[in-house]
Amino acid sequence: MPIFNFNNIKITGMACAMPSNITKTESFKDVFGADEVDKFMLMTGITQTRRTSKHQTAADLGFTAAEKLIQHKNIDRSEIGALVFGTHSPDYRRPASAFIIHKRLGLSIDTAVFDISLGCSAMVYGIQALASMMSSSNIKKALLIVGDTAGKTTNPKDRASIMLIGESSVAILLEKTEESSPIVSLMRSDGNGYKYLIVPAGGYRNLEASHENEICHDGIERNLHNSMMQGTSVFTFTITDIPRLMKDFWQLTNTTVDDYDCFAFHQANLYILQQIAKKLKIPVEKMPLTLSKYGNTSGASPIVTLCDAFGEVEGKELNTLFCAFGVGLSWGAFSAKINTSDILPIIEDDTFFEEGVINSMREL
Amino acid sequence: MEKLLEILEGIRPDVNFENEKKLIDDGLLDSFDIVSIISELNDEYNIAIRVTELKPENFNSAESIMNLVLKLKNSN
Repeated sequence: MPIFNFNNIKITGMACAMPSNITKTESFKDVFGADEVDKFMLMTGITQTRRTSKHQTAADLGFTAAEKLIQHKNIDRSEIGALVFGTHSPDYRRPASAFIIHKRLGLSIDTAVFDISLGCSAMVYGIQALASMMSSSNIKKALLIVGDTAGKTTNPKDRASIMLIGESSVAILLEKTEESSPIVSLMRSDGNGYKYLIVPAGGYRNLEASHENEICHDGIERNLHNSMMQGTSVFTFTITDIPRLMKDFWQLTNTTVDDYDCFAFHQANLYILQQIAKKLKIPVEKMPLTLSKYGNTSGASPIVTLCDAFGEVEGKELNTLFCAFGVGLSWGAFSAKINTSDILPIIEDDTFFEEGVINSMREL
Repeated sequence: MEKLLEILEGIRPDVNFENEKKLIDDGLLDSFDIVSIISELNDEYNIAIRVTELKPENFNSAESIMNLVLKLKNSN
């Protein structure tokens, strides 16, 4: 299995940006009925989410988080040798959105820039990809940005998803260090589950996909351009494969649940996290949760949670175990030492890259 | 079977699990109920219900759920 060890790469900063617009879950009672919404809140723990405006994208939020991080850490932009953006909500079919962020941050042309097309697991894979690049190059500093705006492709009538999804992006700074600061990561994938979380249209497979709504097997109205989640399949995968991954990780690293101060897990929903914590005997006080405030913010969620929990905490060293899982199917974990002084509080931002809104080919 | 009925009734006390034969087909259980049932069964019977087992015929009645549990226990 692919397990990676990095001994000289350190996470030295993280920031999170999210829109100010709050949608209260209770507001859906008029649409889906009080009983349905109450049950949803009980199971998922989600009482509100944040949503971007029409033209604001995950890249905009990622830019804001990265800009704040660069300024806060007083980073020389010319030293950033790689920029990776993990997202399923790109600005365009091409180019990759990482290039838009690269331009806006004013980074050097001596920067390796690309997107990783992943959702909930993007942060784990992004760390692995960047740390691998840094280990085999002269790159001293790199930026990982992760974020999604999945609400934009969710049908408003999709009660399974519309109340679940929050929107946010995070930025993570990686630096080469002389001190021993191990990052260990383990990743898995199962393409057999490619239909469990999917937006069927928008790619090159079916360029003429209909926008007409139809009733799906679960009785919910959607069209081919909407997100579709087979919730029961995703849940079943999660409660089986995530505990297995963690147990394998502990065995391979010769560690136990007691060796970690903090479990920064993908905020899928409360019931899933409670089941995983129970199976792995993770003390609840070591697993911060932000579902009630921000919902499921896809790949950004472990960092959203750290920024929320530790953004105002100075100088605490946390041996942290990150774990993320979702669309693909894709899942993985990594461990790293994090100093809470490197975690910035959550930033609210509603701005967007106006130049990037292209309404006519004649603008190009 | 008694233990299984206790689990099912604990999750949905309003459903007659002894008599209903179309729990999924008639929409008596929603996805939250199914995930709660899967989780309880995994813990109680020390089994791992996989995605491939998520077929309506495996969850349409208490009897079919019991058959699934027994099949998974025997294959362990």
